[in-house]
Amino acid sequence: MKRILAVLLVLAMVFSLAACSKDDDKKTSDNNNTNTSNTSTDSSVLDKEITLTLWDIAVEGDGNRPAYDSALADLKAKYPKVTINETVTENNAYKTKIKSAMGANELPDIFFTWAGAFLGDFVNAGKVHCLDDVLQPWIDNGEMTAAQLGNSTYNGKHYGVPTTYNIVTLFANMDILASVGYDHIPATMDELNDCCDKLLAKNIIPFGCAGKTDDTWCVTEYLEPIIEKTIGAAALKDIMTFGKTWNNQGVASSVDLLQSMIKKGYFDPDGMALGNEEVKANFMSGKYAFYQNGSWNCGDFANKEKVKFNVKAGEFPVVDAANGKLGMLIGGPSDTIAVSEGPNAEAAAAFAVELGRLICHYGYLKGSGLPAWKVWGDTSEVLPIVQEVAAICANAVDYVLFGDNAMPADEAAIYLEYVSSVYGGAVDGAAFIKGLTSEIR
Amino acid sequence: MKQKQKYIAIFLFLLPALLLFVGLLIAPIIMSIYYSLFNWNGLRALDPAKDFVGLKNYATLFNERIQFGSALKNAFILAGLSVFLQLPFSLALALALGKKIKGERAFLSIYFLPVLISTVVIGQLWLKIYNPEYGILNTFLRKLGYEGENIRWLGDQSIALGAVFVPTLWQYVGYHMLLLYAGVKGVSPELREAAKLDGCTDWQVNWNVVIPTIKPIIKVSVIFAVTGSLKSFDLIYVLTNGGPMKATEVPSIIMINQLFKANQYGIGSAIAVLLIILCFFFAILIGFVFKERDIYGKK
Repeated sequence: MKRILAVLLVLAMVFSLAACSKDDDKKTSDNNNTNTSNTSTDSSVLDKEITLTLWDIAVEGDGNRPAYDSALADLKAKYPKVTINETVTENNAYKTKIKSAMGANELPDIFFTWAGAFLGDFVNAGKVHCLDDVLQPWIDNGEMTAAQLGNSTYNGKHYGVPTTYNIVTLFANMDILASVGYDHIPATMDELNDCCDKLLAKNIIPFGCAGKTDDTWCVTEYLEPIIEKTIGAAALKDIMTFGKTWNNQGVASSVDLLQSMIKKGYFDPDGMALGNEEVKANFMSGKYAFYQNGSWNCGDFANKEKVKFNVKAGEFPVVDAANGKLGMLIGGPSDTIAVSEGPNAEAAAAFAVELGRLICHYGYLKGSGLPAWKVWGDTSEVLPIVQEVAAICANAVDYVLFGDNAMPADEAAIYLEYVSSVYGGAVDGAAFIKGLTSEIR
Repeated sequence: MKQKQKYIAIFLFLLPALLLFVGLLIAPIIMSIYYSLFNWNGLRALDPAKDFVGLKNYATLFNERIQFGSALKNAFILAGLSVFLQLPFSLALALALGKKIKGERAFLSIYFLPVLISTVVIGQLWLKIYNPEYGILNTFLRKLGYEGENIRWLGDQSIALGAVFVPTLWQYVGYHMLLLYAGVKGVSPELREAAKLDGCTDWQVNWNVVIPTIKPIIKVSVIFAVTGSLKSFDLIYVLTNGGPMKATEVPSIIMINQLFKANQYGIGSAIAVLLIILCFFFAILIGFVFKERDIYGKK
């Protein structure tokens, strides 16, 4: 009896393995249909049994989760001997977790990070593996440009694999705009002011912006484009990235402009008490006419089950035409996959490059960002709103990285405190530049 | 010889606990004191010669931006409210339940329930209560006839501190109540009966017999309330994370932000050291105050 049971169990295992194999074959096949690249990293290190740890922020419900799932499924089929132990953590908690792990020398083999100063601190600590060798074949083959690697390049060496990239985008509820006579996103400041006044006259709040302490970055999504469209991208980049002084009258007048918009009632007065998810939900329920935030929201806004109105993507108008221009954008390649120094670094590096490229591919298709890699496969189903953002980027004059990513952590913390005070009305333009000049530079 | 063996046996039995105590408590405190003397980001290797800044981190805490003094003031307000509002309320509940009222066990469980619930869940619950638009509090006020702007309980600098303290105090009423209730139940029934026979009212029995008898437990509750307030973190972190504009900051919030957001490991360690010192100081002070006023007049 026991023997019969054993035989039955073995048969069941064989059938289930065959079923798995069939499924994996299908995934590989899907992958082969879309992956047209001739480039490949030296994958011999991935042809042996190895377990790699991966930490990221693509929690369930996050716009990037489907892209991670698809990318990991493809790679599981391609490298069956590689086991990935993935740990996902919510964004804010992740920042604490990854820094603690860094301090304790317990980094995972592969980890999500933000390019710019955030990754720079890790690189300076000597704990991130250089990816020059594994990235070079892709650069040589034109799959990836050195420009896209700029934010994760330190002292001429590449330490990160960009996935998708994002820009600050002005999302507009076109149904609400139509109700005040606008069939387009206001293109000038005069139009924007006129539109906002008409919205207020109809008791519609023009803008939603979260101001809760953890979500101060949402205020920078308004302030930084205003500064950029006032003093120009080069001047803002000098301040944010290259350490020039904050003592700039254009910055002060930008802060005053944002505060005047708040005082006029253009922003939800409850914003200071709300988190970003609440504000985003308000926009998706039709409470606001505009919501300015990262282009990673495109996938959510294109979801017709969640959003019952037409959403268009645009950019904030030019404030001072002497310096600012349309196409001066905040953002760029920031979401990055990095590899820690350690015994698995070589295999992790080979895996990370392909993982980053696939996340980019699926993220673009599913609306969680724009491609930092050369686009491949069938892109006919890319969401229209993502195509609108892509069109903005196609006309980009210059990019300035998100301020809190561009600055070192200590400076970013001070900067965000001042931005919070600006939104709360406690600090005006003059005090903003005076404070940042004395405390940062 | 026997005496020596006895001491060795005592030492060996105490050794595991001693190692745990030193390894988990004393060593981290010493490490924190050490790190608080350096300008270090916690990521790269510490260079003692280059990074040493002495007591500068402690001075930096009180500058205009970090405003540690203001956070400390908030913690003291919370401690004051805990001692003079939360504890008397908990004591009143303990005394009432200690009288063997009907449904004593049910009330005990209900009052203790918030202590059992995760702080994050409580935070989310109160976030909903305080929501300016659909929160139950503003909805209730509007039902009562309030017609002004939405009250931003957690977004208005002038009221956020109070709004954050209400759930913080509420959550631990049950905890102190249970401690005090255990004390009340431990009071000898003969003592109560004797007081009753002498003509005391219920109030007089409580004031003159029960409360003096449970003073050691009240002391423990006061120590927990004060040190707990100085260390308060989780609920405030969930509700406001110290905002708006630092209005609800307490020392632990600044410590976490300096450690993990600003990468200022030295300053974060300095705050940790100050918190340890303050907690020890208040624990000793409270012990001293209660010792002085022992009902038997002993010190």
